[in-house]
Amino acid sequence: MISANNYLYEMVRSELSWVVGEAHVQTGESDKLGHSIDYYWVPEVWHDRGQKLPAPDFVVYPASTKEVSEILKIANTHNIPVIPWGGGSGSQGGALPIFGGIAMDMKRMNKVLNIDPISMTATAETGINTQHLEWAIEKAGYSTMHFPASIACATLGGFIANRGTGVLSTKYGKIEDMVMTMEVVTPTGEIINTLPVPRHASGPDLAQLFLGSEGTLGVVTKATIKIHPIPESRKFHAFLFKTMHEAMVAGSKIMTSRLRPCVIRLYDEPETAKLIKRVLGIDKKGAYLVFGFDGPTKTVDLELEQACAICREKEHEDLGTEMGQAWWDHRYKFFYPPYMFHLPQAFGTLDTVATFANIEKVYWAMKNTVRENFPQATFIGHFSHWYEWGCMLYARFIIESPPKDPREAVALYNKIWDMAIRAAIKEGGVINEHHGVGLKLGRIMKELYGPAFKVLEDIKKVLDPNNIMNPGKMGFRTKGN
Amino acid sequence: MHIDKHQDVIAACRFCFMCRHLDPVGNVTFQESDTPRGRALIVDKIRMDNDNLKNPDFIATLYRSALSGANRFHCVSHYDEVGLVLAARKDIVEAGLAPEPVKALAEELSQVTFTVKGKGKTLYYGVNPKLYAGCKVISGGDPGKALETLGFASESQAVFDRFKKAVVAANCTTLIVAEPSVYDFLKDKLDGIEVVHCSEYLLSAGVKTGPARKAYYLESDFLKNYDRNLTAPRQLLAQCGYKLVPFGTNNEESYSVGEGAVVFDRLNPEVCAKLCQRVCDLADNLKTNLLITSSQYVKTTLSKYNSHIRIVSLEEAVAQRKD
Repeated sequence: MISANNYLYEMVRSELSWVVGEAHVQTGESDKLGHSIDYYWVPEVWHDRGQKLPAPDFVVYPASTKEVSEILKIANTHNIPVIPWGGGSGSQGGALPIFGGIAMDMKRMNKVLNIDPISMTATAETGINTQHLEWAIEKAGYSTMHFPASIACATLGGFIANRGTGVLSTKYGKIEDMVMTMEVVTPTGEIINTLPVPRHASGPDLAQLFLGSEGTLGVVTKATIKIHPIPESRKFHAFLFKTMHEAMVAGSKIMTSRLRPCVIRLYDEPETAKLIKRVLGIDKKGAYLVFGFDGPTKTVDLELEQACAICREKEHEDLGTEMGQAWWDHRYKFFYPPYMFHLPQAFGTLDTVATFANIEKVYWAMKNTVRENFPQATFIGHFSHWYEWGCMLYARFIIESPPKDPREAVALYNKIWDMAIRAAIKEGGVINEHHGVGLKLGRIMKELYGPAFKVLEDIKKVLDPNNIMNPGKMGFRTKGN
Repeated sequence: MHIDKHQDVIAACRFCFMCRHLDPVGNVTFQESDTPRGRALIVDKIRMDNDNLKNPDFIATLYRSALSGANRFHCVSHYDEVGLVLAARKDIVEAGLAPEPVKALAEELSQVTFTVKGKGKTLYYGVNPKLYAGCKVISGGDPGKALETLGFASESQAVFDRFKKAVVAANCTTLIVAEPSVYDFLKDKLDGIEVVHCSEYLLSAGVKTGPARKAYYLESDFLKNYDRNLTAPRQLLAQCGYKLVPFGTNNEESYSVGEGAVVFDRLNPEVCAKLCQRVCDLADNLKTNLLITSSQYVKTTLSKYNSHIRIVSLEEAVAQRKD
């Protein structure tokens, strides 16, 4: 925090204003408040219980790559933290200004720069809201096929920074599969570009280094992503299985048989009973499995039938296409209030990814850990984002009445995370698949990576010698050490 | 405080990001505070400590909202964030904390008198009386909606009372209203008098069709997001021979440049200019496209900010076809 030092504060404010214009350096309490809370539960409860929130000293809105570069140079001169901010909808505290400094809000950089129908790519500035990006691409007759629950609120840069994903990831990939090339401003202000295509043998892939770096290694300012034709048809089918295990066997067989669904979701029995009932109105016991295929109608029909045949090998209830389509139609509804968990509940998404051989072990390890150690918590989960080798577990714990004292509540919350995640790692789980690390999970990165984490730390030190970029996140150095 | 009646909205919106892409002001200022989440957080701070009502930055932010109904309309649970901001504005006014420009505008809006001219059992309120032969015409100014959106509830009521007195004295059974904000304000307020939007009246009256002509219809924030997604304007334009094509990239955002806040341009001209610029940027061809709007406010505001824009009101579009 430099607010206490008026001379330095005014000097930095002036310098920032010279770069972006006075109107684009906000120091009012309204905007500072908005940049003090993301979608991480801890700042939410901190606000709810009237605690003082760490706030940025300045909220700065650059309009160009050059302005981003200039801001980083100013920050280096004065050794001030810079926290890139996209939509602020991350759940890991990755964009929180825990040491004050400059919140660099990227939303002014929101232009679609080019749509290339020959190569089927689109280039955009990374501050663009992803729904706005999708609408612009759709107007040109294509789609990004990137449909995350946070499409309405997150930015392209936010997805890149956190290796985000969308509902159709099984066919179209995560953001790191979608990106062709990026323009990046390094922490010291140099403007660089990664190679123009993502498949090459010209050394390690620099683009993949910045993808998922959560603003700790620089600021991604432009990106070219793949776009796709609007599919002729997209069809869904749903089944109800007696147990989650039977549904998992069917789902994994669909993937290992190398069918190519655009989406598969499997809800465990408690989540089927709770959320599927609430949102879709299916009031049945069992594990709900839904999948979809898209593309040319003939191909879709054939693949859908093959997938259904796999499901029919086990004891099942066929919920048909209607209950599959209903899931697609309501896929975002799960994330709106009051369907989404919210205060006074304490809740966390224990996002973990593992191979098919390990994923159920990971599920049970986390579930048993939560159940045995935290009887006040409910554990539910679904499996989303399926690959040829495994899938992601979107497990959640919910506490209906957490302690009133915010410190006690946060201590309990952190304890559940610690124990559940460590149990998952022991069983071959990786934290995490698409929410990122942020402030929440940084402390576990060394355990996750082992000695390999030093490689990442060394890269950070070289790229960001003054440690100005989003300090305290991803398990890297906090400010001052 | 008035905000206390909106606890459910505060609880739902303060940590929810799901409609931020639809906030017209947030989409041009890019500020976190100019979104339903940002404003709900501010109101929550006020709820926790009423002293925060005095914060000039909070007050400015709450008066910078365009009060767009798009956020509420597309929220799956329809949380009324606009209602929350209106409640906060009432609290600000009642605490004597309204900014000077707001007070001055409220004073001006309070100084209206209403007169009725003409003959007939139907009364028309708008700026195109020629379309309504045989109708009486009431004029004078905003009947209280603008004051209501500024948070001046008692002043709004006083102006409305004067308007109602003039309407009752006119002894009419039907009131035709052209401006969507006024229609929204009056539609359930006048017992014994049927309030209809001009598009409904003209549609039922029947209009002549002309040769097919392509046009873009800018949806009214009020008619679409507040008033049952009124379909009459589109039906009327189709009856007149207009082939309406979608404007912009989607049908969820409000392109009505602050219509929801009624006098938005008077209070926030710089932000309003940005809203207008965004609409102009989204036009396929600004100089050749014909834009049609139900709102005189939208027409005037967009024309003021860009002299090249070809925009007519719904009534003018109908009148051109009649000619």
